[in-house]
Amino acid sequence: MNKNQKYVLALGIILITSVLMYWYSQGAEVFTKSQVLVDKTTDLDRMLGVVNKQYVDKFVFGLFPSGMASLAEIISVASLSGFLMAVSGILIYLFRNKKKETK
Amino acid sequence: MKKTLSIVTALMIFTATMFAQGFKVKASGEQNFNFEDKAGRNQTSFFSTTPLEDIKGLSGGVQGSVTFNVNDIKSLKGKISISVASIKTGIDLRDEHMRDAGWLDAAKYPEITFEIKKVSDVKVVAENKLTAKVTGNYIMKGVTKEVTADATLTYLDESEQTKSRAAGDLLGVQAKFNVKLSDYGVNNKVVGQKVSENIEVSVNVVGSNAK
Repeated sequence: MNKNQKYVLALGIILITSVLMYWYSQGAEVFTKSQVLVDKTTDLDRMLGVVNKQYVDKFVFGLFPSGMASLAEIISVASLSGFLMAVSGILIYLFRNKKKETK
Repeated sequence: MKKTLSIVTALMIFTATMFAQGFKVKASGEQNFNFEDKAGRNQTSFFSTTPLEDIKGLSGGVQGSVTFNVNDIKSLKGKISISVASIKTGIDLRDEHMRDAGWLDAAKYPEITFEIKKVSDVKVVAENKLTAKVTGNYIMKGVTKEVTADATLTYLDESEQTKSRAAGDLLGVQAKFNVKLSDYGVNNKVVGQKVSENIEVSVNVVGSNAK
């Protein structure tokens, strides 16, 4: 493995680790979500002994994609890591030594 | 004979009055509370937990009504239904799967219903608040099973504050019970892995007796 290939490999590992750390900081959800539950309980609700939660649109980064219908559903640790590994693999291949090794 | 009959009748009325448990509020007699709320604040939710993932589902499409004598909560009768199509879990694709024939089959069974049969173990928490066990028929995917919910009922007389929600007196109902999916014909391979076999159902609804 030459110097350039080592740089690409190190950069790929750093980027994938960063993606994993970001996922963990976002709550380590298994699947990417497009909506989250928000508590909208009012004082009157409390007097009536009930709670009121509603789903609101919010992107939550997950480990796996939740669907294929939109980019927001596809983005996840698995899809980004897969993309980074593919790019790293292509670059490592392109940076290979083109001189034929002698026996 | 007539005197004995009168004494027995009086005793029966006295006993019924003494042991009747209900709300001590301004209203009296039989009241009907409707749970329809176009703002979607009335809701039932479910919770599934597995080692892989916790899923929280929410349905805002609640309909139904209950009727009871304010002084005797055991007279409670009625039903609450939810629209299967209104259930959300935070992931659109999962919501679509849940409506499929392998899960709740929303096309064939568009509603999930709870029909109240009896009320027991009533405890008076406050003049306007009671806890009780509410037993009824839970109908899901065409299957009817009897379930018992732990319920808390809160009665609020009409006031300026309650009018912000709806006209009339308000009844808040909070209830919880468990449902085993296989009892209702939901038996696909995901149950027990990504989705729990036993689902906790919570009801949070407010009804109004305005006519």
